Amino acid sequence: MTKYILNRLFHSALVMLTISFIVFFIMFKAGDPVELMLPPDATQQDVVDMRAALGLDKSFIVQYQKFLVNVSQGNLGNSFIYGQPALDIVFERMPATMELAVIAMILSILIGIPLGIISSIKPNSITSRIIMFFSLAGISVPVFWTGMILVLIFSVILGVLPSSGRGEVYLFTSAFTWDGIRHLIMPVVTLAVFQLALILRLTRTGMMEVLMQDYIKLAAAKGVPRKVIVYYHALKNTLIPLITIIGIQFGQLVAFTIVTETIFAWPGTGKLIIDSIQNLDRPIVVAYLLVISFIFVAINFMVDVLYTFVDPRVRV
Amino acid sequence: MGNAKTLKVGLASGALSMDPYAHNETATNSILSNIFDALIAFDKDINTHPGLAVSWTNPEPTVWIMKLRKGVKFHNGSKFNADDVVFSFNRVKTWDKSGFKGKVSAIESVAKVDEYTVKFVTKKPYPVFLRKLTYVNILDKETLEGKNDQWIGLNAIGTGPYKLTSWSKGDHIKLDVNKDHWRGVAKFDKVLFRPLTNNATRVAAILSNEVDIINRVPVVDVNRVKSNDKLDFFVQPGLRLIYLQMDQDRDNSPFIKSHDGKNPLKDVRVRKAIYYGINEDAIVKYVMKGFAEPAAQLSPKAVFGNDPSIKRAAFNPEKAKALLAEAGYPNGFEIQLDSPNNRYINDAQIAQAVASSLAKIGITVKVNATPKSTFFAETGKLKTSFFLIGWASSDGDASSILDGCVHSYNAETGYGRYNRGRYSNTKVDALIEKSAGIMDPAERLRVLQAAQKMAIVDDQNFIPLHYQVDIYASSKNITFETRTDSRIWAFDIK
Repeated sequence: MTKYILNRLFHSALVMLTISFIVFFIMFKAGDPVELMLPPDATQQDVVDMRAALGLDKSFIVQYQKFLVNVSQGNLGNSFIYGQPALDIVFERMPATMELAVIAMILSILIGIPLGIISSIKPNSITSRIIMFFSLAGISVPVFWTGMILVLIFSVILGVLPSSGRGEVYLFTSAFTWDGIRHLIMPVVTLAVFQLALILRLTRTGMMEVLMQDYIKLAAAKGVPRKVIVYYHALKNTLIPLITIIGIQFGQLVAFTIVTETIFAWPGTGKLIIDSIQNLDRPIVVAYLLVISFIFVAINFMVDVLYTFVDPRVRV
Repeated sequence: MGNAKTLKVGLASGALSMDPYAHNETATNSILSNIFDALIAFDKDINTHPGLAVSWTNPEPTVWIMKLRKGVKFHNGSKFNADDVVFSFNRVKTWDKSGFKGKVSAIESVAKVDEYTVKFVTKKPYPVFLRKLTYVNILDKETLEGKNDQWIGLNAIGTGPYKLTSWSKGDHIKLDVNKDHWRGVAKFDKVLFRPLTNNATRVAAILSNEVDIINRVPVVDVNRVKSNDKLDFFVQPGLRLIYLQMDQDRDNSPFIKSHDGKNPLKDVRVRKAIYYGINEDAIVKYVMKGFAEPAAQLSPKAVFGNDPSIKRAAFNPEKAKALLAEAGYPNGFEIQLDSPNNRYINDAQIAQAVASSLAKIGITVKVNATPKSTFFAETGKLKTSFFLIGWASSDGDASSILDGCVHSYNAETGYGRYNRGRYSNTKVDALIEKSAGIMDPAERLRVLQAAQKMAIVDDQNFIPLHYQVDIYASSKNITFETRTDSRIWAFDIK
């Protein structure tokens, strides 16, 4: 196991190094941030000075080399625009994105899996049909539209929920204050709709497939109660592919909350990264993508570990 | 909380730094203007008034003696005096990441005369001195000495009507009223600035009563806002000109295909033809939905240097065609129009409208709209023949656009950095340089107007399109006053 973990860590480091190089190169090629940073009344000399101050006057190789040396000392550089350490800025924004993603994911799992099971047991019942109709809608409706409609109904017309912002924060999250929860409801729902529908449909398909298997029939023939068959034997076997998907989807949620964050003026990393790309703020873009790739790598790792609990065959 | 009155403001973009010298950019300047004071202050019509300086004399053309306001304290209690002024000007001038060097480049030295008097020496007579000073917020020497850039970027300690209490980046900036402010105590106990960058979100926030003011009401939502009887609606003429620059330098311009292989833009008749051939009224009506003012010159009315005698010529495609024929291009030519697509209001759509207008006089225009990061870098390298760009005369003086865009390019003197069409007329240059040293306002105005007339009317060096306007909505519960400089200054809001 130790060897396996070390191996994985080495691979992860390699992945992150490659990513840093690619991002660094693309941002280097994308243009000159100084041109955007300085006001029009700056002179050519000011531009030259600013470039030197940010180290942008050096060649690509020199800049990247310096970046690597700094990274080895745990320093990802200062943001060109904000002047603060890039990693600090990313971490400052990360909790806001994480809480959206985590709560939306938990909600999707807690609602999606049971509904998926219900609709798989009696696929032709009215309840199942209603569930499937809404899940289809959930998968097809664009996030932007969902968000705007929620705002229109609950903020502009009814005036019961705040249209934007994060609300009161306690211990890194707004989930512990009433004001914070009120602010969380709409963004979380917006973000969860697609995930919920996806998980629901995957659970249903998986369950229906498993329920056709011989061992389920055997269990039924042996007189095992229906509930035990469904919620224990069948569900457990459906979970394996589901966990993979949930893992991937969670990474997606963290990385692509941008639309939801924009609609609800949510101060997370999605908004930060788009601004930073537009302003060519390379240190932030690099720091953000490194953090995100680290999260992806970590999730994949955890998914692998989880497998070993659900599926004994993997444990060997 | 309790009975404290909070003014909530939804902004199209937030502050980038709490360091007042980091970014000369409207959104940051607007927020920081509530926290800091400069020696000179703009009123809402960008006229200059005493700020932290109470009076000044100009004994020699290059010397300014300024008396400072006594009894002013910074938010942390430390006293304001001449040392702070000297410290601030030195930092703005020498800090390697200062975005305000252009505001102080003409200042040779700043010295303390006594506790409440400072002496400025400028390199040359400097008529726009007071206007430039409005951009230099005064920092506290005692507090800042020994602090690093990061600390200064997060902690704003000024003398302004409000003090910073918290800044949660991307979410809010909270200010508390400064009860010791020299102008008096502002009406609102607290101010909350929220960046609501998404247009629909910003509108939803004011419609649902969550904020009291929003700026940049998107034109598509104007009717929704106007028809809401709880909201006031404001249109404030702005300082930004949207215009077209043309390559008037190279004989073979890279993005032009003409039958004779030459650069037709070097011929003033062709440039005039483009001016007459663009239906600006239609652009204002259809692209800007009426929220822009057609421009005939470089400076809007509020700016010193505006020439009321220059009127916009009517759209005249016949005249345009005749001029083209006269210049030897009866069948027009092909050209690429470069434009940013995320910098100015509807920038790419304006470029498209220009293209379809010019198509009717025979000029085939291909629009190349790119993000601002690409656009400014490429035009800076002159990889363009024809492009759409904007300029805000934020000093309230025409010298900035004349120096920056009209004067011939000169890397050493810094003139013409944004003159990317490389228009060059030595007579215009001479007038611009002359105007920089004239201290008498009336005479200076004449010279500025003469320079502009020569460039824009005689030479048609640019094609002015329109001036942007700022659109605001505010709750009827408050009395909001818009400002020409686009700032939201809470002290004036009741």
